[in-house]
Amino acid sequence: MLKLNLNLSEKTKRVLPDRLGSLIAGFETKEEEDVGESGLGLDHLGEELETFHSCGYDLETVSDEEEWDSMIRPIPVKENQSSVVSVAEMISADEKRSELDFEANQMGTESTVDGLAIVLFSEVPLSSSRSCFVMQPELMGTQSIVEEFAVVLSQKHINLEKLQGLSSSGLPDGGGLRATAWKLLLGYLPASRDMWEEELAQNRLKYASLKEEFLLDPSKSTNRNYEELVASELEKKHDLDGLLRRHDISHGDHPLSNRKASIWHQYFQDAEIAEQIDRDLQRTHPDMKFFSGDSSLSRNNRQAMRNILLLFAKLNPAIRYVQGMNEVLAPLYYIFSTNPDEQNATNAEADSFSCFVRLLSDSVDHFCQQLDNSSVGIHSTLSRLAGLLKANDEELWWHLEITNKVNPQFYAFRWITLLLTQEFNFSSIIRIWDSLLSSSFGVQEMLLRVCCAMLLCVKSRLLSGDFTTNLKLLQHYPEININHLLQVAQELTPTSYFSLVPV
Amino acid sequence: MVLVLALGDLHIPHRASDLPAKFKSMLVPGKIQHIICTGNLCNKEVHDYLKSLCPDMHITRGEYDEDARYPETKTLTIGQFKLGLCHGHQVIPWGDLDSLAMLQRQLDVDILVTGHTHQFKAYKHEGGVVINPGSATGAFSSITYDVNPSFVLMDIDALRVVVYVYELIDGEVKVDKIDFKKAATSHSSH
Repeated sequence: MLKLNLNLSEKTKRVLPDRLGSLIAGFETKEEEDVGESGLGLDHLGEELETFHSCGYDLETVSDEEEWDSMIRPIPVKENQSSVVSVAEMISADEKRSELDFEANQMGTESTVDGLAIVLFSEVPLSSSRSCFVMQPELMGTQSIVEEFAVVLSQKHINLEKLQGLSSSGLPDGGGLRATAWKLLLGYLPASRDMWEEELAQNRLKYASLKEEFLLDPSKSTNRNYEELVASELEKKHDLDGLLRRHDISHGDHPLSNRKASIWHQYFQDAEIAEQIDRDLQRTHPDMKFFSGDSSLSRNNRQAMRNILLLFAKLNPAIRYVQGMNEVLAPLYYIFSTNPDEQNATNAEADSFSCFVRLLSDSVDHFCQQLDNSSVGIHSTLSRLAGLLKANDEELWWHLEITNKVNPQFYAFRWITLLLTQEFNFSSIIRIWDSLLSSSFGVQEMLLRVCCAMLLCVKSRLLSGDFTTNLKLLQHYPEININHLLQVAQELTPTSYFSLVPV
Repeated sequence: MVLVLALGDLHIPHRASDLPAKFKSMLVPGKIQHIICTGNLCNKEVHDYLKSLCPDMHITRGEYDEDARYPETKTLTIGQFKLGLCHGHQVIPWGDLDSLAMLQRQLDVDILVTGHTHQFKAYKHEGGVVINPGSATGAFSSITYDVNPSFVLMDIDALRVVVYVYELIDGEVKVDKIDFKKAATSHSSH
């Protein structure tokens, strides 16, 4: 501290309080007037202090009302009202922004200023004003969520960003909303509502023709050829008795043919895959009547799923069928076929096939064994998970990887390849998939986040466990509050894509 | 789509040592659902080999079979068709159409499969179909000259049967195809 001039003149003494007083904003002018007169300065100081204290309460001490009004610091209007409304305003501003962006994209304009003008100064469309009003779904009942979704989905041109935002907090059960939302989120249905009929019809037709081409029974195809042959040969006259006519097909197709081009041969080769698929399907969700058991409903469902998986295996000879694909298909098929809309429910097979292909297109590399160690393979994804964990909770990461040597591939392999369908019960899976499909980060990224969140949520148990207990815990993940899990996942710190942790 | 293999008259080990190699390479397990064997295998090894191709095997007794427990005739239903099985040495004159038709009426079957003549035949007679798969090994027969190894594979699909005939002629496998339908009413087959 500097040695100040101890000989403080009286003037300085007078000055200092004033300087202090000038800390109060807006009163400088008055102080300058009063500097010369010490007495007045002190009085003035007293006045100012009083003013500062009262804030509108001690009205008696104020001499002049006008003076009082000018001295009062303006209090922001917001503080007087409840916090709910202010948050609501923020959300509505956000929604407006999303609507603006959307509308800007719609109109093809780049400047959002014009859009802003349009929204603020012209009539706001009823739908957006309604959605601004119905805020914070958790506070309101589920009825309003359904309404909200109905509003979003009834638009002529669906705002996908909005749908994503709404879906990530959970889709309502029933009413076929989930089925439609999933189809939109996976890109199966186009955003423009007019094109739905056309797209659906086209896709279903395509599926039917694919089925015919690839899944046909060889004897049925020979039957068809035979009919043509008979028609062409004009075999009207036939012998009632006598030797049956023989057709030489030594170079044609027969059931015992071993030639690659033979449809019989292909059929028997596929029979192996078909057998494996059948076995897996028998074991899909054994607790659900929809999938297991001997009722004709479950048999039909299994047959439909069998067709989908077999067709996928045939169309992708590089991956064929891998055990577990049935689990990824199950929720999709369930949601689509329990759609109350009749037409959609009967075509659930075709729709599920297309959506299954779309969903698997991201993670298809995980199933290919040759790509295991490459940059798109499962090992790379596992190390990304480890990196994410390290970025978010270094202590837990250290404990798992280094102390316990619990490698991600021991537990997370199944989590990632099967999109968490084996870790939770069915309704939880559906809820998690709502968030996965609607995440703005993309399915795979969100999946890694959820996996990381799963680890964080059992952190205390993991930190206190050794190799065996931890592995056991992670391979039989305990039941937890799904909404909490998804909340944690949403709030994770992202890590850069290329930060690979040496495993 | 049910695949049924019909063969017989192998006469192993007396008149032949084994099935022709080309036939053996074609007959692999997993493809065939049923085997019907007319008889005269003759020993247990052949029985076991056929059993390995398909667990569902039906066999009737031929006069040289070592296992005396096989029945004389057998009937079974596959799809919409009733099949009858008999070796054929019991039906005299051997290979006579009318006598076989009598047997068919007795068994009340749509398709009658018999052997003994070591010669492939497939014909329609009096409302039914008689199929003789011949000898799978081409074993010697006192009633037939120039025996070619042959067997039959039937593809039964609802009301329609496709018969694939496999014959070994001059060392080459020749495949023939025969179609016929069973009509709900009588004789509008092929």
